[in-house]
Amino acid sequence: MNTIIQNILVFVAIAFAFIFLIRKFIWKKSKSKKVCGGDDGCGCH
Amino acid sequence: MSKQINVALIGNPNTGKTSVFNALTGLNQQVGNYPGITVEKKEGVCKLSRGIKAHIIDLPGTYSLNASSLDENVVIELLLNKNDKDFPDIAVVVSDVENLKRNLLLFTQIKDLEIPTLLVINMADRMRYKGISLDIDYLEAELQTKIALISTRKKEGIDNLKNLIANYKELSVTPCINPSDIDKEYFDNLQKAFPNQLLYKLWLVITQDVNFGKTDRKEIEAVANFKTKSKADLKRLQQKETIKRYQFINNALKHGQTIDASQAKDLRSKLDRILTHRIWGYFIFFVILLTIFQAIYDWSSVPMDFIDSAFASLSEWTKIQLPQGAFTDLLAEGIIPGLGGIVIFIPQIAFLFLFISVLEESGYMSRVVFLMDRIMRRFGLSGKSVVPLISGTACAIPAIMATRNIESWKERLITILVTPFTTCSARLPVYLIIISLIIPEGRFLGLGYQALTLMLLYFIGFGIAVLSAYILNKVLKIRSKTFFVVEMPNYKLPMFKNVAITVLEKTKSFVFGAGKIILAISIILWFLASYGPGDNFNNAESIINTEYASQQLSEDEINQHIASYKLEHSYIGIAGHAIEPAIRPLGYDWKIGIAIVSSFAAREVFVGTLATIYSVGSDDEATIKNRMAAEVNPILGGPLFNFASGISLLLFYAFAMQCMSTLAIVKRETNSWKWPTLQLFIMSGFAYVVALIAYQLLK
Repeated sequence: MNTIIQNILVFVAIAFAFIFLIRKFIWKKSKSKKVCGGDDGCGCH
Repeated sequence: MSKQINVALIGNPNTGKTSVFNALTGLNQQVGNYPGITVEKKEGVCKLSRGIKAHIIDLPGTYSLNASSLDENVVIELLLNKNDKDFPDIAVVVSDVENLKRNLLLFTQIKDLEIPTLLVINMADRMRYKGISLDIDYLEAELQTKIALISTRKKEGIDNLKNLIANYKELSVTPCINPSDIDKEYFDNLQKAFPNQLLYKLWLVITQDVNFGKTDRKEIEAVANFKTKSKADLKRLQQKETIKRYQFINNALKHGQTIDASQAKDLRSKLDRILTHRIWGYFIFFVILLTIFQAIYDWSSVPMDFIDSAFASLSEWTKIQLPQGAFTDLLAEGIIPGLGGIVIFIPQIAFLFLFISVLEESGYMSRVVFLMDRIMRRFGLSGKSVVPLISGTACAIPAIMATRNIESWKERLITILVTPFTTCSARLPVYLIIISLIIPEGRFLGLGYQALTLMLLYFIGFGIAVLSAYILNKVLKIRSKTFFVVEMPNYKLPMFKNVAITVLEKTKSFVFGAGKIILAISIILWFLASYGPGDNFNNAESIINTEYASQQLSEDEINQHIASYKLEHSYIGIAGHAIEPAIRPLGYDWKIGIAIVSSFAAREVFVGTLATIYSVGSDDEATIKNRMAAEVNPILGGPLFNFASGISLLLFYAFAMQCMSTLAIVKRETNSWKWPTLQLFIMSGFAYVVALIAYQLLK
């Protein structure tokens, strides 16, 4: 029983870690298009 | 029910605006970004009288509402957009008692937008040193506002300021200047064309070539079409406006302010002569740097040793106290050592930021910028490039964002490209652990070898950044104009509260920002190091038992062989062996290879990764440093982290582009993948070659 619970906890931790890293570096929330350097002619460079 | 009002804190740079913000909000503040752009947004809450709560926004420092950089755009965007949720109920303009005339230009512009505007005159404690006296009642009448004379340093006048903010409805919104006085015909026509609009707002919209992301675009375009004058004429009108404003300010100050130079007790000029001297200036800066690096080492060693052994004990304790199983192993061998690898560097990072913050607060950093401008120019950089290069010692990301105030695109691009060479705080953990392993603890003229090595690495980073800038300046064919203006603030004793908040904020963001990534990577690494495919991994115990059956080994030794065999045949071991041929010429084994690959996400992950890899299967209580020191080179024998491989690693980390977040910000700032891709390949390729040469020469 203890082994099963420990294994479940490990896989939950790994899943959380994996999802966190994916969200952090690969799949990011889309941001407003009004960004410096975009096509809105903000004139920053 | 309590009422909340929006308070915009606005002012010229170096007026002590942030000190006022800290005095009003204390620790009730948070730092974020403005939506869609990467200009820092500081907000906080302050309780006023009669149950009123003030939501205070510390806007970026600006000299006027004629914006020339993105930071300044943020101010003008907010003040022009009544629909913005942060549109201020009251604008609090912070000025410095010694530069009142210049500071009042911004005040008159904001007041003309008919926003209730309160004038704060800060640094009142300096009045007697400068022989300044003010007739506040007269100034209030002339400027048609209320004035809060305060000293954030002496904590004087803050309660009065809070009362004045709470009574913001009593403030007059009468403009200082009538735009028709600038050019009657033009402004009367403009008002006729848009009768329901505020004239000064219309004028700002017409003259500002900025990104009004949040304002009503249609409304602005309609106004922008009303261009009855050429650009040159508009510029001339702007100049007339500025002259009118200064006439108004001069009138107010003529009787409202008296400066008796004979009463001034000024040390500033004397100090400036020494600190910006063409020889002594550099010598003093060098001595200050030496002191800083020595102090970082000397003062941090006790808390660092304590943290290191505390995490080792915690890991051991967890293993003993919790029921045996995979999750206990994950905690003891993955999470705790991984976190220990970051927490251990808190003392050194806190001390580094303490010194940087003290130098900034005291006004010395501006002298350094001025001093270094003489050198920077020769390498195609702006004097303003020094700020990103110095802030790059904290983190390249805000440093790259800080290039936005460099007007010349070529200088800005070069600064963006070379800033990642400066030694950021993420490199510090890597440097510190490797230096402690390969450089002896002895001293030379009272200075530790280890501290000198660390300082040398900072110089190498800075030197390569400047050298690369020189090459890029020759290679890049971009034409642009360049000029350099820097304000020299007065020297002042650093305020403890400001220094403490900076140290706390920077350390917190380092620990939590990097800590979350390190925790996640530690978990994944532990999994990859604790599980593996195929029979070799699954039957490790029987294979080792058979192999060593003839030898008389203790149970501990057998267990160590099993752990080592399992690690070698785990997922991470297989990946490490696959890349080993590429890194072996640099003096690294597959474990270091894994740490290099995993630290591509963020450099500081390197130590955490090694801590996790070396912890897997290890039963004894040992610190990270001891485990690394005990590693043996599998091919040559002897310590894996010896002088040659250590120097090679230090140089690799000094030059390699090991930071995904920096690449992302470079892409964003240059609006192109070309520059971050070039940065990645050139920096990492250069790092590989230098590390290879260093190892081959020193081995």
